[in-house]
Amino acid sequence: MRKKKWITNKAKLRKALAIPALVLGIAASPVVGQVEGGELVLAQSANPPSLDAMTSSSETARNINMNIYEPLVAIDENVNPIPMLAKSIEPSEDLLTYVFPLRQGVLFHNGKEMTAEDVKASLERYREVGATRGMLDKVKEIEITGDYEVTFHMSEATPTFIEGFSSPRAPAVIIPAEEAAKPANEIEIIGTGPFKFVEFVPDDHVTLEKFADYVPNEDFDGPTGFGGKKTAYLDSAVYRIIPEAGARIAALEAGEVQWADQIPVPAAKRMSADENLNVYEARQWAFMTFIMNWNLPPTDDVNFRRAVLYAIEPEEVMAIATEGFYDLNHGWQYPGRTYNAGDIGKEIYESAHIDKAKEFLAMSDYDGEEFLILTDPNYAEHSRAAVVLAEQLKPIGINAVVKQLDWATVLKIRLTDEGWNGWTLMQGLEPFLGPYGIAAKMRGDQTHMRGTADVFEESYNRLITGKTVEDRQKAFAEIQTAIYDLVPQIKIGDVGRMQAGSARLKGFKPFRAPRLNDIWLED
Amino acid sequence: MTRYILSRVLSAVPVLFVVSLVTFLLMWLVPGDVASQIAGPDATAAELEAIRQRLQLDQPIHIQAFRWYGNLLQGDLGQSYLLHRSVVDAVFERLPVTLSLAFMSLVLAVIFGVLLGVLAATNHNNWIDQVTMAGALLGLSLPDFWFGLVLIFFFAVGMGWFPTGGYTPFTESPLGWLRSMTLPACTLAFTQMGVIARMVRSSMLEQMGQDYIRTAKAKGLPRGLVLFKHALRNALIPVITLVGIMTGLLLGGTVVIEVVYSLPGVGRLIIGAIQNRDYPIVQGGLLMTAGIFVFVNIAVDILYTIVDPRVRNDR
Amino acid sequence: MTAEAGVPDISATRAWVARLKLGLGTAARHRSIQVGGVLFGFIVLLAIFADLIAPFDPNKNNFRALLSAPDAVNIFGTDAFGRDILSRVIHGTRLSLLVGLLVVVATGILGVIVGTFTGYVRWLDGPVMRVMDGLMAFPGILLAIALAAVLGPSVSNAALALTITFTPRTARIVRGSVLVLREMPYVEAAKACGASHARIVLKHILPNALPPLIVQLTFVFSVSILAEAVLSFMGVGPPPPTPSLGNIIAEGRSYIQEAPWVALMPGIAIAMTVLGLNIIGDGLRDTLDPRLRNL
Repeated sequence: MRKKKWITNKAKLRKALAIPALVLGIAASPVVGQVEGGELVLAQSANPPSLDAMTSSSETARNINMNIYEPLVAIDENVNPIPMLAKSIEPSEDLLTYVFPLRQGVLFHNGKEMTAEDVKASLERYREVGATRGMLDKVKEIEITGDYEVTFHMSEATPTFIEGFSSPRAPAVIIPAEEAAKPANEIEIIGTGPFKFVEFVPDDHVTLEKFADYVPNEDFDGPTGFGGKKTAYLDSAVYRIIPEAGARIAALEAGEVQWADQIPVPAAKRMSADENLNVYEARQWAFMTFIMNWNLPPTDDVNFRRAVLYAIEPEEVMAIATEGFYDLNHGWQYPGRTYNAGDIGKEIYESAHIDKAKEFLAMSDYDGEEFLILTDPNYAEHSRAAVVLAEQLKPIGINAVVKQLDWATVLKIRLTDEGWNGWTLMQGLEPFLGPYGIAAKMRGDQTHMRGTADVFEESYNRLITGKTVEDRQKAFAEIQTAIYDLVPQIKIGDVGRMQAGSARLKGFKPFRAPRLNDIWLED
Repeated sequence: MTRYILSRVLSAVPVLFVVSLVTFLLMWLVPGDVASQIAGPDATAAELEAIRQRLQLDQPIHIQAFRWYGNLLQGDLGQSYLLHRSVVDAVFERLPVTLSLAFMSLVLAVIFGVLLGVLAATNHNNWIDQVTMAGALLGLSLPDFWFGLVLIFFFAVGMGWFPTGGYTPFTESPLGWLRSMTLPACTLAFTQMGVIARMVRSSMLEQMGQDYIRTAKAKGLPRGLVLFKHALRNALIPVITLVGIMTGLLLGGTVVIEVVYSLPGVGRLIIGAIQNRDYPIVQGGLLMTAGIFVFVNIAVDILYTIVDPRVRNDR
Repeated sequence: MTAEAGVPDISATRAWVARLKLGLGTAARHRSIQVGGVLFGFIVLLAIFADLIAPFDPNKNNFRALLSAPDAVNIFGTDAFGRDILSRVIHGTRLSLLVGLLVVVATGILGVIVGTFTGYVRWLDGPVMRVMDGLMAFPGILLAIALAAVLGPSVSNAALALTITFTPRTARIVRGSVLVLREMPYVEAAKACGASHARIVLKHILPNALPPLIVQLTFVFSVSILAEAVLSFMGVGPPPPTPSLGNIIAEGRSYIQEAPWVALMPGIAIAMTVLGLNIIGDGLRDTLDPRLRNL
């Protein structure tokens, strides 16, 4: 193997990538008592918008797609990139080419073997229809350099390229070349994952079954993240679409489903006393954020935005919005993560500073106009946070009005300058994947706050191109400082996610999507 | 007769045209769009524009309308944006659920409605009558979605007798179908039962006051025979009309019940499509349900004309 | 009724008052109207004096008392925001009545205008009634949900959506009455005396078309209250934190096992309000419009 300069998470990662045979999987292999067979019924809240994995960054699609499809590069349990369908990742010294030797003998669900042809066709398709196709922007050309090897030629060196490429948001999965020729959402659902697609009845269920000819990745000892050596024990899995939380709980308790997502916290507390059920707490699931519109008065005024920032009492918002399952965190990275910027902003965040807020309000041009808080009923947390925020802002003299529209309308309105001042949004994948997604939404021409400031542009560039981790950490710390000064978004806290399953379900560990591999049902 | 049927069927054409026009305008006016729904919250403006172009949503309204009506005349209601199937397929897939629900609740409502109505009429003005009628009135006054929640709480969660929601097709398991339909059908039947019971009661009381009943009684025929053979039979004629009307209205009534019980019926299909801005489904789905409603009414009218030719002249 | 034709000097207003007095006088002595009146009247009083009667601010959050069970302080318990459910139910009832009233007034006005014109002006009848038939062919609640989605969530938009949904049926009833009354001898007589169309309609036709309209509007009132709850429940009603009864049920739905009081209480409030109206409606039907007694 060529010697290469490796960029992200340092030694551990480099070893893992360059010498993939090294033990990396979480030690799941010799656990005793796995049971083969059975059907697992999972309950989730909404239809997958698409089972064409490249085209959708929706969570409900990912929950299913991550079991059907696999990408070249996946993430491990600690969100570091690992080869999945690639045998290894071999960047050149100057980071202008990446060679991806492929694993041989990997079969698609249609029985065909995966080759470089399929990989190139899939990634070319991703550039066309991929929901996050921007991650391939710096790839000038994808060249087939062998039956089982592709090479990326880059237009410029991007130290963080592989991290972006491994993102499961709208994963760059590999599908057969003949499917890759088809437009978005018109493919046959064929992947290389341990489960294959059977049927989708919208508003009712999606059925997958075990792919008997699945070729596990023997470079790993066991499963990790969305990669590693996966083993399917279940015969089949049915995702039932149950929008109503109460109905999901009831179905779980009645034994109709063995796993359910998005359990309201009061129910989770009650269920944890039930020995037939397991409650899974995914603590660091998302950031609750309050996004400001910089282009519409009164939030075009930085002093007004500061008044909002200082008037907020995060604990009350979080306690109500999350039904009590939250962590107070001022940071724009989770505690303990590489890019966590320490105490920057902590003092402002910790509690409301009413006098300070009033001072800023007095300094602003605010004249009693409506402060429109955009929110939606589809995510109860958004709506509850908006209501509490409005109630907190009224006493300092801000005329806060909750504007609740359905999700489809919210997604459209927030892309305009009109009709909203603040927007409550849970950001899940961005903080999960690290600092880039967070920072990216504050620079360029597609920001959340509809404007930008030089400091965000400059710091972002240093974050992306910084040669050492320390350089990049410094860049992110600057971004966090600027966030607490210019207020493009307000961090309210960290939201947890409750999931629950039958006690018969073994081996399950919460992750960004439920993994059907390496879990089994006891009799 | 043929002319009457023909004229009734033809009269549906302008109605359906209005329906199609209204749905088309509604979806044109609705804010938000399907593109951001497909692309997700991170989409760029350019990506959204590309999707709109692909779906031809960037074209002017009159061209879209022209295309839609052009296809409609050929019997093509278009393709769903999100469900990857044609509108007609999507609706027909869901129809068994909605029809199962409507049919079962109607059967329950008729059986119990008639029973209670007769019970009340034969006990006119005593406490049985009053309790029955109070119950019927209460049934009319309950918010059905709330009543559905209450039934789930007691009979699905509490007792565990029925599933909390979801649909089992009849072809998969007849017993499972029955279990999955029982609570939703009972919820819906409860309100309808009240309507029918009130109708049966008043219509039977009216019949019992008629001369022929008095004659029959005077002749010394047994009370039961008089009641059931004569009074009830005649009392049921207006009930049949009512059931006809209710059959049409049930398609609307099932919507909320489908939501409460997570049933994949036509109502939830359309609601979901409204929320996701899946215009072809909303337009086609509403057109089809309205069409069913119109033709059920025509069928009821025609049936009624056959049964009772006097009606024709009344119109 | 025909007696009025012989008294050409009664002003239009007095004709209306006379007709109403006649009807409502009988109605007031009807037993179900008395029973329903007491129940509904009590609820109306609660709603009018909501600010005085409700023990707490319905929008006051308390994150230290989330979903607490009914007790001496919060008689109906608290919701997921720690808000007092009794206060929210009282204010929610006020909102329901307000929406119902708005819909009744708007539907009444629109129904009379459309019904009278289509019944009286022959060339309008065909096209306008086809539009009404078209609107009636939609499953009512689906139309209301679609309209509410178009208009955006607010109290007045919910009322507007329901008005559009219920106007056609009301217009049809008014039209039916007008068609019959138009042919009455006293109307012919008034025409022969050279009375203007406006005068004939206002003085001779509408007052007599009123009884079935009142019965229909009572029905619209109760159905609007139920429908508003459905709209809120489906997330297209008045936006939070508005205490609408449907909103409270929708919020309580997730806690039906842990905190059943949240969803239970507002449901009972809706049922009682609608029951009161339905009882009154029954009585009005009996006294004002005997032809409709069967339904």
